[in-house]
Amino acid sequence: MLFTSLAFFLFLPLAVLVHALLPAGQRWAWLLFASYVFYAFSDPFNLVYLGTVSVVIYGCGLGLARTERKALRIAFLSLGLVCVLGSLVAFKFYDFLAGELVQISEGIFGTGSALELPQLGLTTPVGYSFYAFAGASYLIDVYVGRLIAEQHAGRAALYVAYFPKILAGPIERATTFLPQLRANLRPEPAQVITGLQLIGWGLFKKVVIADTLAPLVDRSYKIAAFASPIELLLGLYFFAFQIYCDFSGYTDIAIGISLLFGLTLMENFRRPYLSRSTAEFWGERWHISLGHWFRDYLYIPLGGSRAGWLRRYANIMAVFMVSGLWHAGLGYGVGWTFLIWGALNGLYQWAGLVTAPLWRWLGERLPQIGSSTLILVLRVLLTFHLIAIAWVFFRAGSVTEALLILQKIGTGLTQVPTLITRYPFTADQYLGLGLIILLIGIEILDERRSIWQRLASAPLVVRWGAYYSGIFALLILGSWQAREFIYMQF
Amino acid sequence: MQSKASVKRSEQSSGPSWRSLKKAAVLFVGIGLLLYAGVYYAAERLLYRTGDANPFFKVATAIHGSYDWVILGASHAMPLDFADFNAHIERETERQILNLASPGTGPLYNRFVLEHFLSRHRTANVLYVVDSFAFYAPTWNEDRFADAKLLRRTPFEPGLALRFLDYAMNEGVEAAPVLDYITGFSKINNRKRFERDIWEGEKRFERTYRPSASATRKRITYLYPETASDPDIFKRYLEEFAELIALARREGASVAVIKLPVPAEYESQLPNEVAFDAAVSQLLAARQVPYRDFSLTMDAPHFYFDTDHLNRNGLTEFFNRHLKAILIEDKSRRW
Repeated sequence: MLFTSLAFFLFLPLAVLVHALLPAGQRWAWLLFASYVFYAFSDPFNLVYLGTVSVVIYGCGLGLARTERKALRIAFLSLGLVCVLGSLVAFKFYDFLAGELVQISEGIFGTGSALELPQLGLTTPVGYSFYAFAGASYLIDVYVGRLIAEQHAGRAALYVAYFPKILAGPIERATTFLPQLRANLRPEPAQVITGLQLIGWGLFKKVVIADTLAPLVDRSYKIAAFASPIELLLGLYFFAFQIYCDFSGYTDIAIGISLLFGLTLMENFRRPYLSRSTAEFWGERWHISLGHWFRDYLYIPLGGSRAGWLRRYANIMAVFMVSGLWHAGLGYGVGWTFLIWGALNGLYQWAGLVTAPLWRWLGERLPQIGSSTLILVLRVLLTFHLIAIAWVFFRAGSVTEALLILQKIGTGLTQVPTLITRYPFTADQYLGLGLIILLIGIEILDERRSIWQRLASAPLVVRWGAYYSGIFALLILGSWQAREFIYMQF
Repeated sequence: MQSKASVKRSEQSSGPSWRSLKKAAVLFVGIGLLLYAGVYYAAERLLYRTGDANPFFKVATAIHGSYDWVILGASHAMPLDFADFNAHIERETERQILNLASPGTGPLYNRFVLEHFLSRHRTANVLYVVDSFAFYAPTWNEDRFADAKLLRRTPFEPGLALRFLDYAMNEGVEAAPVLDYITGFSKINNRKRFERDIWEGEKRFERTYRPSASATRKRITYLYPETASDPDIFKRYLEEFAELIALARREGASVAVIKLPVPAEYESQLPNEVAFDAAVSQLLAARQVPYRDFSLTMDAPHFYFDTDHLNRNGLTEFFNRHLKAILIEDKSRRW
């Protein structure tokens, strides 16, 4: 069920109403039931995967809690991780890798005696990447003692299945989620207001901004071989904002919905395109829940930054490569582009580490220039462009296509001022550009002081005027033709 | 947005009570509904300024109370009303003609259109331009009611809303488009609200098609989805077609059915066409409805603006050769 569908607009009020009417002790059961209905809506068979993951993490969690023997504990952890993450790898990569291996063996041994690996036609169940990672984090947290294994099967199942986050996160930790379930799940009026604000803002980002940009991006990438550098440059910029608004829009809606049930989910985006470095972008502002997951369950266990500089560089690259693999999904196909996307972002981090002493030295020598607005803006712009270039590999259908796009933009860069005056901009492109400018304006304001605080302290006419403007922009400008959220496809 | 949790905490400490929240919510929704009504009204007015091809718009703005001919069917029948062609036909035949064909619509949708037309106007004859694809899939029947492109150009009328509701309850049409129509959502949400309602084919009406085998294949695949081989579905839409004929006759209108010319390459790839022709012929013969199949009478590419739609040149030729005689002949005659 999509957050932007009519079915969901009927489902949500019903879910909230029944939740409010039930005694506090039974609310978890209703949320679990609602989550299963939500998840099974498009394909009831998906419940088999969800049920299996729930049973595995609950069972292995109990196993971990009931034994002190290290070997047995490792066995429970391994079993759980292999089931949950192993199946994720199989779903995502079996067919791709089988195809690649067959191709390689054909190249070596010839067509007749090549390796034979069947294509199984596996597709990752919707949201699997997210709840598999949530399940894995639960098991690791129980294993290392950060979390006491949940004894209540219903609550453990709800942690995995909770509907606002199941399709595209945030990848909520059990350490913060389960204690909330054990409390009474009673929303406060202020939570309801905040929740509705976030739902509205998330919908605006998704159906007004992202889905306005989506067809423009699709067009640019579809005709990449024949497109002008301006067309491709627009595609590059538009995709950067499409994916941001699509994904963060989903997250805002998920957090907003949760507040209606009295649950607080973690913040997942913090105005990422205002980052001053790619390290800040990935570490503090973009898909924070995934970044923290990789930091806590991969980077640190690998030794993090404390195992010597060589290991540190290798660990960083490993994290970004794995992140690239995690992102390899159905929406834009499973291919080498995602690995290159991960590696490129890893290289950015390396470059940042290598040049860090230089920037520090310059900052100390020239403190006024280093902290000037001009330098700040330049850093933000540079970071944005580095990230946007990497997105080309994320969005392109193949490495060749991505390189072609970048090459065409690169070679045409000097002609851009001339080309831009001749380019026949369409009304939709102007609208897309206008919406991006609006978004940047709001985020700059928000960076200085929360836009919600500004609204809360504004006169009623201004506050309600802003709400009505947002709602009617959704009605008048929104693209409601059920375009999936991009991250649901991973 | 910045640190929602911290904002929430600060709001919670001095936040509103449930009572004040409820009062504010009622007021907010009330004002919102008033604003919505205003936007709805503006969208409806705008529709009358930009409307053109939508069959319900044509019914709402039809100048005559009674017509000689109403034309129904899918996109093949639409060129008869492209540009000034309907006026040309009316002049040549001295008949009043209203073309209510709309793209990709089968017998169920056309019955809906005819019912609505007959609730407000009269016609002496109905000319149904038949296309086999429209008899093989819900895509071209029930699902067409949900097409936002049609809904956003359909003027609001209480009678039409009730008819829509009736089709949702009795004919398998989904409830969502009814809700859409009543709330005017697609009209308010129309990104092309300031553009004239012209079907994309009309812009190519004067052009000549360069034949392409792959384009024809693609078109056939699009028109005949997988359900095309389901005999129950075909039977259902034949019954709908029979119901349409019965409806026209109950209201005193004669019915004539034709197939318009299409290129031979296109026709040869239509699945089950022989069986379709046989079934339709049998149905029409049993009801003594005249049926003329012109599908293979004009093969030359210069008669078409795309894989299967007549351009001005083709339509003029077809009109002079065949259609004029049909439209002006005594309706009691049988072909």
